[in-house]
Amino acid sequence: MTAPLHEPTAEAAPSAVDEAAVASADAKAVQGRSLGRIAWDRLKRDKLALTGGVVVLVLIVIAALAPVLTSLLGQDPNEYHENLIDPLFGTPTGSMGGISGDHLLGVEPVNGRDILARILYGARISLLVGFLSALVAVVLGTVLGVLAGFFGGWVDSLISRVMDGLLAFPQLLFIIALVSVMPDKLFGLTGSSVPVLVMVLVIGFFGWPYIGRVVRGQTLSLREREYVEAARSLGAGRIYILFKELLPNLVAPIIVYSTMMIPTNILTEAALSFLGVGVKPPTASWGQMLSSALDYYQSDPMYMVVPGVAIFITVLAFNLFGDGVRDALDPKGSR
Amino acid sequence: MTTQRTSGRRKQALAAAIGVAALLTTAACGGGDDSSGGSKTGAAGFDAANNKVAQADLAKKGGTLKFGAAQDADSWDTTRGYYGFMWNFSRYYSRQLVTFKTAPGKEGASLAPDLATGLAKVSDNGKTYTYTLRDGVTWEDGKPITSKDIKYGIERVWAQDVLSGGPTYLKDVLDPKGEYKGPYKDTTPDHLGLKAIETPDDKTIVFKLPQANADFESMVALTSASPVRQDKDTKSKYGLHPFSSGPYKFESYSPGKSLTLVRNENWKQSSDPIRKAYPDKITVNIYSNANDLDQRLINGDLDLDLNQTGMSPQGRTTALKQHKANVDNPVSGFIRYAVFPQSVKPFDNIHCRKAVILGADHVSLQTARGGPLAGGDIGTNMLPPGIPGGEGQKYDPYQLAGANKNGNIEQAKEELKQCGQPNGFSTTIAVRNNKPVEVATAQSMQASLKKIGINAQIHQYDGAQTAGIIGSPANVAKKGFGIIIMGWGADFPSVQGFGLPLWSSKYILDSGNNNYALIKDKSIDSLFDQFNATLDPAGKEQIATQINHKIMDGAYYLPFVFEKFINWRSDRLANVYTTDGYSGQYDFVNLGLKSAS
Amino acid sequence: MARGPRRGPRAVLAYLIRRLFAAAVMLVVIITVVFSIFFIVPKWAGVDIALSFVGKQADPAAVEGVRQKLGLGDPVYVQVWHFFKGLFVGRTYTGGGDTINCSAPCFGYSFRSEQAIWPVLKDRFPVTLGLALGAALLWLIMGVSAGVLSALKRGSLWDRGAMVVALAGVSLPIYFTGMLSLAIFVYGPLKWFESDYAPFADDPAQWFSAMILPWVTLAFLYAAMYARITRATMMEILGEDYIRTARAKGLREGVVIRKHAMRSTMTPILTMLGMDLGALIGGAILTESTFNLPGLGREVLLAIRNQDLPVIVGVTLITSLAVLFANLVVDILYAVIDPRVRLA
Repeated sequence: MTAPLHEPTAEAAPSAVDEAAVASADAKAVQGRSLGRIAWDRLKRDKLALTGGVVVLVLIVIAALAPVLTSLLGQDPNEYHENLIDPLFGTPTGSMGGISGDHLLGVEPVNGRDILARILYGARISLLVGFLSALVAVVLGTVLGVLAGFFGGWVDSLISRVMDGLLAFPQLLFIIALVSVMPDKLFGLTGSSVPVLVMVLVIGFFGWPYIGRVVRGQTLSLREREYVEAARSLGAGRIYILFKELLPNLVAPIIVYSTMMIPTNILTEAALSFLGVGVKPPTASWGQMLSSALDYYQSDPMYMVVPGVAIFITVLAFNLFGDGVRDALDPKGSR
Repeated sequence: MTTQRTSGRRKQALAAAIGVAALLTTAACGGGDDSSGGSKTGAAGFDAANNKVAQADLAKKGGTLKFGAAQDADSWDTTRGYYGFMWNFSRYYSRQLVTFKTAPGKEGASLAPDLATGLAKVSDNGKTYTYTLRDGVTWEDGKPITSKDIKYGIERVWAQDVLSGGPTYLKDVLDPKGEYKGPYKDTTPDHLGLKAIETPDDKTIVFKLPQANADFESMVALTSASPVRQDKDTKSKYGLHPFSSGPYKFESYSPGKSLTLVRNENWKQSSDPIRKAYPDKITVNIYSNANDLDQRLINGDLDLDLNQTGMSPQGRTTALKQHKANVDNPVSGFIRYAVFPQSVKPFDNIHCRKAVILGADHVSLQTARGGPLAGGDIGTNMLPPGIPGGEGQKYDPYQLAGANKNGNIEQAKEELKQCGQPNGFSTTIAVRNNKPVEVATAQSMQASLKKIGINAQIHQYDGAQTAGIIGSPANVAKKGFGIIIMGWGADFPSVQGFGLPLWSSKYILDSGNNNYALIKDKSIDSLFDQFNATLDPAGKEQIATQINHKIMDGAYYLPFVFEKFINWRSDRLANVYTTDGYSGQYDFVNLGLKSAS
Repeated sequence: MARGPRRGPRAVLAYLIRRLFAAAVMLVVIITVVFSIFFIVPKWAGVDIALSFVGKQADPAAVEGVRQKLGLGDPVYVQVWHFFKGLFVGRTYTGGGDTINCSAPCFGYSFRSEQAIWPVLKDRFPVTLGLALGAALLWLIMGVSAGVLSALKRGSLWDRGAMVVALAGVSLPIYFTGMLSLAIFVYGPLKWFESDYAPFADDPAQWFSAMILPWVTLAFLYAAMYARITRATMMEILGEDYIRTARAKGLREGVVIRKHAMRSTMTPILTMLGMDLGALIGGAILTESTFNLPGLGREVLLAIRNQDLPVIVGVTLITSLAVLFANLVVDILYAVIDPRVRLA
């Protein structure tokens, strides 16, 4: 394999002694630097994580500049090119799903829309839905999870039961029911912004208990740990303990969960498009492309491969970056 | 450096995926025979069973005929079923006085006696129909089928509050005022209180119509006119195990999962001029994944698709490319179209309607429907070619399959000017969310209408709630659905069976409406009345043509295609043919297998 | 906040009773919400549900009959009350001279397929249970072992490789991986497995053969999540003082991992398992439909397509029960595994 893959191997799996030495070295350095600074220094050393971060940034830029990029390519995401379609089968003429100089990633079956242009535009919807709904879930889940775990008592009971209820509640039914009431206008928004907003809220709302339960569990178990007990016996206030001691310890699971949620959310968006609750046609989204590609998975595999790879790269980038941040923030600095 | 690695991986993933896909397409099946004149595998050849009988002499008695389906019937109760394939399949276990001839193509849409000795003796200016029952016709327990059983079966149509779902033509024609309350609320001792049907003896049944109806005998041929025996009527649960009058009876049925029919030993071939009853056993398995169903058909695990709505895009591509000898390409009798509710501005103006009809790209719409084979020929008018009076593409008032097939932007803009909307307008296209093909046509319309300045938003609604959403004119007006995408097929092959619910002002309903365009044209209404008073076929045909022309003159509809579909038949099937009696489906009841094993 | 440690059988019993009571309340709430969604939400949109039951020719008598049978005229709380009463004492549906008895436990009656729902649920449940348990076992084995190995060999080729494979699983929808595996292993070049489901009791070999692909497909989706959580938690714990202490004491690395680290790692894994097992119905819908397994997921998808409300409610009740039960078990296991956690 290529060199960069070996690089981390060298510093991986240190023996217990090495690790302890590194840790104590780190511990000394900690004296003079802020937590953020340490994390940043560590992150800079993690090439894979940086790559992930760069890719995420690039994706965001691509999404933001989609109209510019497509016009540079000379393609419109909604323009039909039916002359490139075999009318008998509905599949693109030419090899590899109609890849050509004009259409770098080929064209869609049936209508011949440019896949690259749709992928670029689709990035906007998919990233927006994936990211924002994860954000909603993380904020709700963390706040409520910490409250439940830290304060216990009736607060915990109430929040836990709400989480149980939400987890036990069949989301899909709720979504199906939404179909019949999805308004054409909402908060002054029209067109595809409406379903996007609704999706963000719904996915986020049903997603928070997953984070909430984990955070609550961690808080519960952290609360009983020695250092929290110690802080408490030293007379530290609750809020102080919460922020100073608990939150840094919760960062790791939260980051892991949220980077995992983003791809799941993108796929949920796909399922919703499949059910007709997603973005409104002709707006492109990766999920919508993936869903409609199912009918051509053998006759035009490129149509499925392209959005599949797009999602895969996004997922991978988010996760590599998330892992790096997690490792960098790890307060026990096992590096 | 880092980006290099990513793109390297991307290429690998691409290559892997493409490799797998290539493997699949080439190795999926060991190469079929493309010739249309039969094949090595024994399949009859492309279109060999379309409107003609394929391999009739190869049919043997015995064996298990295996249906697969993506959808179960709405109900197997003869009174409640409304799906076309259910009517077709029901002939295995139910008989009617008269039924469709077991013949291919157009002839299959004509009537032949079944339980009756002959077609009706019509008297009293078309208001009295008399039938005599054949000898030796029996139920699955060996008891004879009597005229009273038939009357009771038909009476069940009146019990809509218990037995909903089926067609109500018989009720509407025999009891237009709704005086009879149905057999379950019938206070006469034998529950046979319906006055319009008389049963002077066990062998004779007389229908007395308040008003003549030219299609009445077609209604007597409907599955909902099947006999039902009172002591076997389990009311709403009857569909779980209908009591058989035909050559097969229910052995087991698990709704949404599977159905098995076995021979009814008490059925006698000598009493039945219609059914050949080749196989010993008939099984139906229901699959939740249409692609999986197609794979199983191609694989030879199943003989044919019960639903008969055509293969999915993936399946039909494989079938056409590798197993062409196993498919037929019949016309389905459905027209797929867009309709313009006149309650939504500016579609109250005929010129705006014409602008949409002329501006749309009809080839693009055809491709969206599946192309010339799987979608059908470009639709040019609103009467299916298989219906008496239908002219097919010969009648093309807007040149949709001719000069204007890719849309005529100039003419469309001219119409827009006359409509008072020279710069176009905004509207909403309503489309069912569970039909990807319909969503594709909506997008095609959206794209081509944009070129003439019409800005259309697509509204997808829950397909299961069609009757309440687009079937409610108030809701349509409120939501501003200027364009509704739908399809329609005839319940029986006549202009009445196809067009009455769509075009008659009497059929504008507050909910469950099908006259989406809200056509209130006295001349069309009176043409339907005339049709019903006309008894000679030539006269009926002429009126049908006239009605169709009126509809097209009004520019209420933009027809997409005269639908066709790609239908699979296995190598094992013999005596296969499509019939217009069941909208281009294979005639199930006489399918045979080439070997009994 | 400062509560004394409460232990002993009485405390556990009291805890159980409280939790069971809460679960019962939760069920009532969920069922009420489901009823509301299907009865009130369409009303907002001006849609009459009865219409979706009567076919193409919507006869007014038919619409009225459906309304009567489904009890659409009653307020939601009355419908919910009838439903719960039916669970314990059975119920009778009447309308239009037809009487249908649904004996206890009456989970409702489908007017679409004209059958009581309980026997259907009983028939479909084992399929989904088999799918869920088999897949869970697989993804636990795959996920946890991959996660532990990744954590121990952090940053290695193995670590990154395992993660990429795992992430590929998360990036692809079940219907895609499912169709692809069907095309390869059932119809395709490698005809290794059965495609037709048979109940375990009838034919264990065929059951197993038909279940392998669904198990793997479903497990593939979850394994990534478990691998990553395991990896993260494991690394966290390896940095803990008590692990260092154990190592300092000279315990062998294997013992440290097995005896100390694994135990703590299991806490978040169990939390997830509890949630995922119960909430698996979402994954089951797609998996069962793709592989045509006659389970609850396929049943509810059919019901959704047909607007078969009673079936949807019945399946919802069963699956909600499963989730609540799984969460209860997890909470109890929490206390067993991690003695520091009190029963709350």
